[in-house]
Amino acid sequence: MKIFWGLIILAVFLFGVAVMRNEINRSGRSISQLQNEVEIKEARNQYLQLEISRLSSPGNMIRLAEEKLGMVPAKPHEIVILEEE
Amino acid sequence: MFRNKPASPFVFNVKSRMRVAGMVILLAPLCIFIRLFYMQTFLYEEFSSKAERAIYNYLAEDRLRGKILDVNGRELAESVRTHSCGVNKRYVKDKNKTVAFLSETLGIPKKRILEKWNHSSNFFFVAKKIKPDKYIKISQILRTNLGQGLELTPEYERIHPYGESALDLIGASNSKNYGLSGIEQMYNRELSQDISKKRAKRARRGEIIYDRKLKEELSVANVYLTIDAVAQYYAESSLKKEVEKIGAKHGIAVVQDPKTGKILAAASYPVKDGQSLAFQFTYEPGSTFKSIAISSALDAGVVHMTDSIDMSGRVWEVARGVVVRDNQHDKEFLSIPEILQLSSNIGAGKIALELGAKNLFYYLKAFGFGTKTDINFNGESKGNVQPYTKWTKVDTATKGYGYGVAVTPIQLINAYSAIANGGILMQPHIVDRIEYAGGKVETKSKPVKIRRVLKKETTDMMKKALQSVVEVGSGRRAQIKGYNVAGKTGTAEKLSKEGGYAKRQHIVSFCGFAPVSDPQFTVLVVLDDPEKYSFGSSAAAPVFKEIMERLLAMKGVAPDQLDFE
Repeated sequence: MKIFWGLIILAVFLFGVAVMRNEINRSGRSISQLQNEVEIKEARNQYLQLEISRLSSPGNMIRLAEEKLGMVPAKPHEIVILEEE
Repeated sequence: MFRNKPASPFVFNVKSRMRVAGMVILLAPLCIFIRLFYMQTFLYEEFSSKAERAIYNYLAEDRLRGKILDVNGRELAESVRTHSCGVNKRYVKDKNKTVAFLSETLGIPKKRILEKWNHSSNFFFVAKKIKPDKYIKISQILRTNLGQGLELTPEYERIHPYGESALDLIGASNSKNYGLSGIEQMYNRELSQDISKKRAKRARRGEIIYDRKLKEELSVANVYLTIDAVAQYYAESSLKKEVEKIGAKHGIAVVQDPKTGKILAAASYPVKDGQSLAFQFTYEPGSTFKSIAISSALDAGVVHMTDSIDMSGRVWEVARGVVVRDNQHDKEFLSIPEILQLSSNIGAGKIALELGAKNLFYYLKAFGFGTKTDINFNGESKGNVQPYTKWTKVDTATKGYGYGVAVTPIQLINAYSAIANGGILMQPHIVDRIEYAGGKVETKSKPVKIRRVLKKETTDMMKKALQSVVEVGSGRRAQIKGYNVAGKTGTAEKLSKEGGYAKRQHIVSFCGFAPVSDPQFTVLVVLDDPEKYSFGSSAAAPVFKEIMERLLAMKGVAPDQLDFE
């Protein structure tokens, strides 16, 4: 009887170990997948930030303003400066 | 009767059989033990390094680097994480499909990929520093059959979002992210750190596990320049246009805040990374130097604004055989403002002689000529001012109109800023602050007064005289509607390789500041060796005007002329 119970406990223990191993593997895969996604998102984000910097550079802004909107730089005397009260 | 046979040494009884069997059984563990002992004792280093490589990665290849930003936090240089794409042939499932995918994604012809494939034993890189969009496409198929055998290795690339803008100041860093020139080299320690010996735990696929502690350890500083990216763009675009128009060899445009000494823009054209001509170029300044000699003489009290200088015949024999001529006017006497307006060499030479070699030398030194400005830019030149004991009478006179002395653009603009700010030589700065990862900020550009060079009264007189140069003199093309502008033109002959001066090679320049009532910007424009015959008044002054106009508008500086409509 003792041996029977011993075997039962051993079987439960082994089953528990197997379940845990499986869970660890599943979590590992999930972490790896998430890390991959984070890397992709970070790369995408950095790429977009670079695009923002490049597009908002003074040279680009002035070129677009002049070419697309027909704007010209204002002479300094044409700018009205409002004094703070 | 049986007689016991004598025991043969070759016949085993049970006991000896057991002993032999025991020995045989023990032999295997003994061998294992000996092998283990050997490995532990003699092969320890090899195996421990193997184990270390399996667990840890050295960070040398994954080097981080801080950003270089302008004064307002616009990114001028930053490191982005890119990847190299490699192929491990052994694990590739379908060669043709993999090659077709790589060719389409990376935009590399199949033929080139196949050439690499055929010439490598097992592993080869298809492309280095691939852009994020391509990286995303490849990383998405890594776990599929198509992605088997593909490897993405992280590395960093230095990106300049504003293109070539300020690249001469920023400089370059190599593929290992070490600064090689310019700010990158000067502040390499702050921007980077020596992580070649630093190691970190790696995950199964080799990627480094960045825990919080490691991230803090790896944090680097960001360097903020005093440069304003917009002002820099204005200086660069105006300079480039003029250099190309007149076919000059080089062009330099520098913008300084005269009150603080901060350099707001320092443009060189053509651009070479890490080689800023604003600090490294030396030249004989010619007539822009007259302001320095004349303000020194006024300050020393050897001449006064109301004095008239004799121009008899517009020819002056300084010493036997050395004649200075003024061909640009027909006056017999010139006042000091007129000497500046008409850019009279005779007048400036005579005033320099009146001041004397010793006094002129000490004023030049006080203005900072002949010594580095300590702006700490690599390769900064100190110019050349010979000791006055070596000067002849001719040397003293020629220094009055900017020959026989070599200056750098930063020295000259700093001297003009001293006139603009009331007589104080300020320490020029190129780096505004360094922000460390922990939030600590080290300010590098606190205004530092080096010394008072001129009395306030002298600078007031000089400002008016230089203003008259722009109003009625050689600098008329620098006039800006609504603003009082002060400045001086310069057209200097270049030294000839054959000795003496080359008649057809010039350096034309203009240095000035505005508005005169409260100077906000000092701007220097230098154009080296234009192909088209040019003068400081015709080539450099309009560039000065264009840059100054845009700067005044950018900062919203109110006009100081009352009736300009």
